Amino acid sequence: MTMIDTQVCSNVEDGNGLAIINSKAPFSSAYGKDALDIALIFGSFEQKVSLFFQGDGVYQLIDNQDGSLLSIKDYLKTFAAFEFYDIEDIYVCHQSLANRELDESFHIEGVNVLQSIEFSEALNQHAHILRF
Amino acid sequence: MKTLAVVVTTPPYSHLTITALNYVEAALQAEVEVIGVFFYQDGVMHANQNISIASDEYQAIQHWQRLHQNYQLPLHICITAAEKRGIVCDALDNEKVNQAFTVSGLGELVELTTKASRLVQF
Repeated sequence: MTMIDTQVCSNVEDGNGLAIINSKAPFSSAYGKDALDIALIFGSFEQKVSLFFQGDGVYQLIDNQDGSLLSIKDYLKTFAAFEFYDIEDIYVCHQSLANRELDESFHIEGVNVLQSIEFSEALNQHAHILRF
Repeated sequence: MKTLAVVVTTPPYSHLTITALNYVEAALQAEVEVIGVFFYQDGVMHANQNISIASDEYQAIQHWQRLHQNYQLPLHICITAAEKRGIVCDALDNEKVNQAFTVSGLGELVELTTKASRLVQF
């Protein structure tokens, strides 16, 4: 086993809860809402959950959006409740923002913008990963 | 003992469910303890009794049933996702739900995730 493999395994062993990767834009599908439902349930059961936003998923964090213009229930508003569910670890990929020429104006507080390598390292701290 | 939980988010006519089936069956044959399969999003359609897939195509639902019967593999569907897709989960009139599947909620996913040493999504 190489050193990197050993490192990965040890991280998995002392795994730090669930990571949810959000990779889809908010209003073209229900993926974001389905991921949110899982995050809130884990929060309700006092299980550790971290949220990662990457690719088109970064659009879920951008402010001044209004799903109701598309007659869609604006589930992004629920992001404001993360604090009550003790969901504090929120990470967004800097490269994904840069590729889409988005600046860091998010509609919730406490979002950590990470470079790709840090993003993958943070992800690697988790025992389990789901992707939506 | 290493334990495995699996999340299936793709419908029964998706090629990914075949990959999931092969993966789960290989794990069961290798005597890995598979603590459950959780069907979420379009995955819940596996429990829809009215789905009929052309006879010359892969019968994913039958294969999940077989794994359930042969290995007592727990198959859970998310009730919210199921009802949204017309699968009536009423306890008195649940003829639309394939009996190999247990109607559960996302709380079951929490339980599977916390118990499993590994969680794999398809």
